[in-house]
Formats: sequence, C-alpha cells, structure tokens
Amino acid sequence: MSKSNDDKPITAKKFMKEFHRYQNGSITRRHFLGVTGLGAAMAVMGTAVPSLWSGKANAFGDLGDRLVFSTWPNYQNQVNLDEFSEMTGVNIQLNAFGSNEEMLAKLQAGGTGWDVFVPTNYTISNYVELDLIQELDLSRIPNYDAAANNPKFADPATVNGKVYCVPKNWGTTGFIVNSKKIKSSPKSWKDFFDVTMAAGSGHTILHDYQLTTIGGALCALGYSFNSIDAKELAEAEALLIKSKPHLFAITSDYQPGMRSTDAWMSICWNGDGTQLKNDMPEMEYVIATDGGEIWSDFYAIPKDAPHLEAAYAFINFMQDPYVQARDAAVHGYAPTDARAIALQPDSLGSDPILHPAAELMNGLEFGAAQTLTDPIRAEVMARFKSA
Amino acid sequence: MRADSKPNRWLTAALLAPTSLWFLFMLIFPLIVILIFSFGERAAVGGYAGGFTLEQYANLPSRLKAFQNTMIIAPAGTLISLLVAYPLAYYLALRVDRRYKLLLLVLVIVPFWTSLLVRTYAWIFILGGRGIPTLLELIGIEGVRLINTPGAVLIGIVYGYLPLMVFPIFVSLEKLDKTLLEASSDLGGSPFKTFRQITLPLSMPGIATGCMLVFILLMGEFLIPAFLGGGKVYFIGNALVDLFLQSRNWPFGAAVSVTLVAIMLITVSLYMRMTMRSKTGRDESLM
Repeated sequence: MSKSNDDKPITAKKFMKEFHRYQNGSITRRHFLGVTGLGAAMAVMGTAVPSLWSGKANAFGDLGDRLVFSTWPNYQNQVNLDEFSEMTGVNIQLNAFGSNEEMLAKLQAGGTGWDVFVPTNYTISNYVELDLIQELDLSRIPNYDAAANNPKFADPATVNGKVYCVPKNWGTTGFIVNSKKIKSSPKSWKDFFDVTMAAGSGHTILHDYQLTTIGGALCALGYSFNSIDAKELAEAEALLIKSKPHLFAITSDYQPGMRSTDAWMSICWNGDGTQLKNDMPEMEYVIATDGGEIWSDFYAIPKDAPHLEAAYAFINFMQDPYVQARDAAVHGYAPTDARAIALQPDSLGSDPILHPAAELMNGLEFGAAQTLTDPIRAEVMARFKSA
Repeated sequence: MRADSKPNRWLTAALLAPTSLWFLFMLIFPLIVILIFSFGERAAVGGYAGGFTLEQYANLPSRLKAFQNTMIIAPAGTLISLLVAYPLAYYLALRVDRRYKLLLLVLVIVPFWTSLLVRTYAWIFILGGRGIPTLLELIGIEGVRLINTPGAVLIGIVYGYLPLMVFPIFVSLEKLDKTLLEASSDLGGSPFKTFRQITLPLSMPGIATGCMLVFILLMGEFLIPAFLGGGKVYFIGNALVDLFLQSRNWPFGAAVSVTLVAIMLITVSLYMRMTMRSKTGRDESLM
C-alpha cells in the first residue's frame, strides 16, 4: 500500500508560509490545519476538548457506537476511518464489494444493516426507482459544497430534482499491464483479448463484474461499452467464453494477483492503477483506444439505515476537503471536489493516470442505467462464469 | 424399563417441540418457498415474480459445467480426505503414546479456532506464484501453476475438511477391541490381513460417517472454489451465489437449488443403502 504524503512532517519553512497565508485570510483555517497536519492533531484532541474542533461536524450528539459502511476494495484511507471513530466513538464495520450488482442484490433482499454505501453513477436512478435509498438532507452535510463539484460527475446524484447522494471520486476503467511480462504494449480492448489468448495466456484477470467485463468485450468487438443488444451481447459472450481457458482468474480483487505477478494483465480502475504503479513501476495503466468507462462514485444512505445520525456525520466528515485529499492520497482516485483537488500535491493533480488528457477520454462512456438491471447482461455474465 | 413401558407422551412432546419447530420453520418452510420460487419468473429488475413455468428447469443445462465440476471434485475431495485422514486417525487411536494423545487431538482441532475464510485466503498466497511455485523454481522445477486450478481447490478442500474426516474414524478405531488384534496375530494373521479383516471392517461406521459429513458439505461448497479456483473452478454453490447475489435471478437459482437437493437425496440414500448392507447390522453407525 502506498504511503500517504501526510505521514511526512511539514517543513518549518512551508509551515510558516502556510501560517502567513492563513493570517492573510488567503486560505481557510481548515486548509491551514489540514496542510500543516495540525488538523489531525486537533481532531484527536477534539474528542477530549470539543471546542478545539473547528469542523462543522461538531454537534456530534449521540451517534451510537457503530456504522456499517459498504464500499469497494482499496478505496479508503484507514487513517480517516480511525479518526472518525476516535472523534465520535462510532466503530466502522467495512464491507468491500466487487460489483454494483452485488450491492443491489443485497439491498433488494433487504435487512442489510448498511448505513452508508458507495454506488456508481449509473445505478442511482435504479435505486431511486426501487425505493432503496433516501433523499439526503443536505443541511446535515454542511461540508458538501455543490458548487465545488464538477457537474459532469455530480449530476447523477440528482433524480427528479431530488438529491440522493454526494460525490466521492471519479475515474476511468481501462486495463493494467505488467510491461516486464508483456512487451507488445496493448493499446485497445481488442489487443487486450488478443494478447490474453496468445502471449499472455494464463495470466489475465477479468472482473467479476458484468459492467466492465462484458463492456470490455463489447468494446473489443467494436460495440458500445453499454450495449444491451442481444446479438452484440451474444458475440461478447462468445469472446469471453473463448478467452476463459486463457484467464488467470475472474475476480474484482485483482491487486493480489497482479502484485504476485501471477497475473500480467487485468481490467483495472485507474486509482488501483496508480496504487500498483507506485509500488511496481513496470505496471502501465491503459485507457483503451476503442472505448471503456468513465464513472463517478457516491456516498448514499439506504432507506432502512439503522444508524442514520452516524451515517450523516460520517458522510459529512468524508466531504471535508482535507479528509478527501487524505483519502485520495492513499487510494489514488481523483476527488470530484475542487477544494480537495487544491489540497493535493501538484504531482497528483497532473498525474496522467488520474487526470488523463481530454482526447484520451473521448471514447469513454458513463455506464448506462439499464445495464444494471438488464436480464441478458446478467445471464451472459453468469453463463460465462459457469462455462 | 420394561416394567413401565408406557411412555409419558407429554414429556416426549415437550422435549421434541423445539426441534420440531426448528425443523419446520428453518427447513421445511424455506424448502417449500424455494420450490414455489423455482416455478416462477425473474422480475424485470431482478428477484422473483409469480407465475408457473418450467422455463427455469429447462435452462438447467446452461449450468451443466457447474454440476459436473461439483459431481467430480466433491467425491474426489472426499476420497482424498479419507486417504489422508485414515492413517492419521489410526495413528492417533492405536499407535500414539497415551501421554501425547490429547495434545495431538487438540492440534487436529486447532485450525477450527480460526475462520475457514481466513485460512483459505492464506492458501491463496501459499499456492500463488510467490509461494510454492517459487520454492519449486529454486530446485529447478519451473512453470508450475497451482493457484486457480482444480488441484488447488482439492488441496483447499482436503485441508479444510480433514478434521471432519479424522474424528469419526478416530472414534470408531478408538473403541475397537484391541484383544481382537492380538487374537488375529496369535492365530497367525499377518499385519496386513489383520488390518483388512478386522481393523478396516470395524472402522467402517467411522469411515461412512466421515465420508457422509464431508461429501454433503462439499456439494454445497462455494468459498474454497471461489478463493482457490479464482472463479475458474466453478461449483453449484458458486452458481447459486451468482444467481442470487449478482444476476438476481431467484427463480432460476431456486431451480438449481431444488435440483441440487434432489441429487443429494438420491446419492445419499443410495450411499446409505450400500453402507447399511455392507455392515449387515453388525455395528451401529455413528450417524
């Protein structure tokens, strides 16, 4: 796991510079506390001496002692979660999921006990239609600043004029290549499947996730990532089944396989690409030339969340720009919030994996709502896995 | 006991009530629900929609591979577990110094103190490229692939289920009358003959129980193939997890479940008949 920049102490010179900026009013107190590391120190003290804690998440009241948070693998900074627990006395139980379908299935079955979960853009209208998530009371999330969020990523949160979630991060879905093992530098999904069935046979991971796995196969065939056309899906299924004997695994938890070098290529989300490349420079993240996905993730509260107070407090805490930046420093995904991006080191702001050039992203599509519930896509994925 | 053979009916009923209720609500009712679901249709957004159709059962061949994998690997895993467990149980019951017996028995149970999930996850690293294959490379054996193969799943199965096989066999060997073994050798029986004609037949109840325990659990296994098979060695259990938790096709999932239950009922009753007959009523089963 990559180290957070916040672990490094700030230099005296930088501290004084930030202090002057704070005195001049050119930065907020929160920013000052954040970049100097004083924020974290004060947050800890804040539990004992509440008046020191300047955050708007102040009036904690009695939040109970637990919160169930369902999210994705490698997608949070443990320091943030620990700090929230220390401040509020709320212990966080974390569940990691590999697909939106799995989250939907659990919520549909009911009684999940989840308080906060992380759905992706294209699922939100489905959740609203199925009456599975709550409309948010934004007055309880004062740290959320709608104006600071790129509407391209934040808009799916609003359905029929009501806001159901607040944005977390955005990113792309492409693939990762271990360039020491695969020399041909595949550039497209077509290359990806060609290499899988030739030089890279036995070393490719596909996600256990219909959207990206079927989507990648569709792109390789020249179709839309989001296609729900029966004929196109049948071709994608044939390609997937043909490639199956050449796969290393079908799993959305692909980092262990890539790190052990058992796998040489995998469908990959860009932040995981950053995490892998930080530790193994031979890892190359590729946005495919023949398409792929651009997405944004959100914090949402299920309809039957048992710890509603804690859920709001947690989302508000996670919306703090400093907390967001510290999260991103570990998981590598770009925040949607301009305030958090401003707090990131310059190297992250200009990172080509996190902020790809616009022309690279031209071919990418946001996931479409109907892919989540389309029965043919669901069955194609299930048949591919049992083939 | 014979003098007053009239049973106290109320007492019997009171003692059996909790089990009966549990059986009714936790087994019979859910099975009926599953059976009803299996004739329904998938709702538009997933889940169950009422109806009567045999479509789900007609679709079963699309999961043929999962049934095949399970029907091959579950018996194979049971057999390998037996072959590994028997010598161990034999040693523990008949050979080991009494002083160490308890300690060694506890050691067999110790793995149960940690979740199977965690232990199976550990095997991912042991069998992965930087585990055993790297060690094999050191001695010149290259290109060995273990993880995500049927072999890896079998290793995980034998590892996970071994104690369930060891204990019933141990118990039946433990209560074996040792004087029979002495008698056999006094009468000139070779050790092999003694084993084949005395020890093995007398430990059959333990073998039957152990095999049954392991086999039944293996037929529903999904965790070990998911972790050590990497989604490539696919059991019926995995198909069920997918149908309920990913593609949300409850009716088809229910049809697969009903089929699995039917297969189990047939194989288990055949197996029971075979083992009953071979024992010819000589010894009581542990089941």
